[in-house]
Amino acid sequence: MDDKPGQTHFGYRSVDASEKASLVRGVFDSVANRYDLMNDLMSFGVHRLWKRLAIELAGIRPGQRVLDLASGTGDLADRFADLVGPEGYVVMSDINAAMLGVGRDRMIDRGHAGNIGYAQINAESLPVEDDTFDLVTIAFGLRNVTDKQKALEAMYRALKPGGRALVLEFSKPTNRPLERLYDVYSFHVLPRMGDLVANDAESYRYLAESIRMHPDQDTLKGMIEQAGFERCDVRNLTGGIVAIHRGFKF
Amino acid sequence: MTIRDLALEGIEQSINGLLALDPVALQRLARLHGRCVGLQLDGIGLTLYFVPGHDGRLQLLGSIEGEPDCTLSGSPLDLVRAGDEDHGHAQLFAGNVRIDGDTALAQRFSEALAGLDIDWEEQLSRLTGDIAAHEIGRGVRAAARQGERMRDVTAANLSEYLTEEARLLPHPFEVDQFLTDVDTLRDDVARLEARIALLEKAGPGDPQ
Ligand SMILES: C[S@@+](CC[C@H](N)C(=O)[O-])C[C@H]1O[C@@H](n2cnc3c(N)ncnc32)[C@H](O)[C@@H]1O
Repeated sequence: MDDKPGQTHFGYRSVDASEKASLVRGVFDSVANRYDLMNDLMSFGVHRLWKRLAIELAGIRPGQRVLDLASGTGDLADRFADLVGPEGYVVMSDINAAMLGVGRDRMIDRGHAGNIGYAQINAESLPVEDDTFDLVTIAFGLRNVTDKQKALEAMYRALKPGGRALVLEFSKPTNRPLERLYDVYSFHVLPRMGDLVANDAESYRYLAESIRMHPDQDTLKGMIEQAGFERCDVRNLTGGIVAIHRGFKF
Repeated sequence: MTIRDLALEGIEQSINGLLALDPVALQRLARLHGRCVGLQLDGIGLTLYFVPGHDGRLQLLGSIEGEPDCTLSGSPLDLVRAGDEDHGHAQLFAGNVRIDGDTALAQRFSEALAGLDIDWEEQLSRLTGDIAAHEIGRGVRAAARQGERMRDVTAANLSEYLTEEARLLPHPFEVDQFLTDVDTLRDDVARLEARIALLEKAGPGDPQ
C-alpha cells in the first residue's frame, strides 16, 4: 500500500508511523474489559470455530515451545498450554499491558501454572533468541502492527528450523454478495454494537477500517514468503472473511 | 469445514459440561495433561482425538499430525450402548475394544470417561452423515430425536456439497451457509445451555 515515507494506516486515516502504536494501544485499552463478550457478539461466536481450525493447523505436540503474539485475552494461549502438556511451554504476549493483564488474570483463574509465561512485547521486535520456538502464532493481531513485514521477519527468526508460523487474520471475502453483506455489517452494525456493549463506537469503527486496509490473501502470502518462510499455504474461512496463513522455517 | 468444527465444538462443550459435574473424573484426566487419545469408530471411518488439559477438561481435535499416544477402537454401537448400562463396570465401550499404543493411558482415559453419562448417539450424530447416524441410532433410541437428526443431516449434506463444489458454485450459497452456520451455532448454544441447566438441577455436584 502506498504510504508516504514515515506514514502508515490507522484504519482509513494516514498517520505518522511513530504514532500508530499508541493509537492502537488506545483502542485496546478501551476495549480490554469487554473484549471477550464483544468477540462473541461480533462474530456470532464463529471466532471460536476459526480458532479451532487454527489450532489443528498448528499441529502442536507435547513438549513444544510456543510463542503467541498479540494474545489479547489468550484464547489460543489457553488451548496451547493444554496441548503442549506439562513439559512444554507457552509464552503469552501482547504489546498492551491492559490486555495482557486481563489475559493473565484469566489464565490464572483457569488454573494454568508452570508451563506458561507472560511477556509484554511488540511483535515487530521480539526480545527472544533465534531458533527458540516450534510455533509462533498471531491471531487477529497482525493488522494492528505498524510494520508487518518486520513482524513476519521477527517471527521467522524466533522459530527453530522445522517450526512454523500461523497468522489468523481478517481477510478479503472471496465473493461479491458476501462482501457487500459484510460491508454493511461492519460499517453499520458493528460500530453500533460496539457503542451499545463496550460504549465505544470509535474503536469498532477502527476495527472495520483496519480490516479493509489489511493486505489480502495473496499479498500477505507474498509477504510471508518474503520473510523467508517456505511451504506457505492459505485457508479461507467463512468465505474469506478470515484466512489462516501458514509458513514453515526449514 | 465449519459444520465439522461446529460439531467438534458442540461435542467438546457437552463433554466438558458433564465433566464439570464430576470432580473425580476431572482429577483423573488432569493427570493425563497433554497426552493424546484417539477414539476410532469402526465402520464410519471417524477418529476423534482427545487431549486432556491441566484441569482435566478435554480438547477435541478432528485431526492431528503424527500418531496419538494411544487409540481405542470399537464399534459406534458399543460406544452408545456402554452409556445405557450401569456405570459399575466402567469402560468406554460396551463390547470389544482394541487398544493401540500406550495401553495404560487408554485404560485410564476410558475409565475416567466411562462414569459420565455421555449421550454418544447424540454427539456422533452431530458429525456423521445419514447412513452412519442411522447405523448408530438403530435399535438404541430410535424415534425420539428423528426430527433433530434430520436437520443435522441436511446441514451436513449441504456443507459437503458446498465444500466439494465450492469453486463452481454461485455466490449466494456461501452467504447462505454463513447465515445457516450462525443460526446453527446459536441453536447449539441454546441447546447446550438448556442441557447444562438441567444437569445443574439434577446433579449433586458443584458445577459453579
Ligand atoms: C483483536 S486482539 C486479538 C487477541 C487474540 N489473539 C484473539 O485472537 O482473540 C489484537 C491484539 O493485538 C495487540 N497488538 C496490537 N499491536 C501489537 C503489536 N505491535 N505487537 C503485539 N501485539 C499488538 C493488541 O493489544 C490486542 O490485544
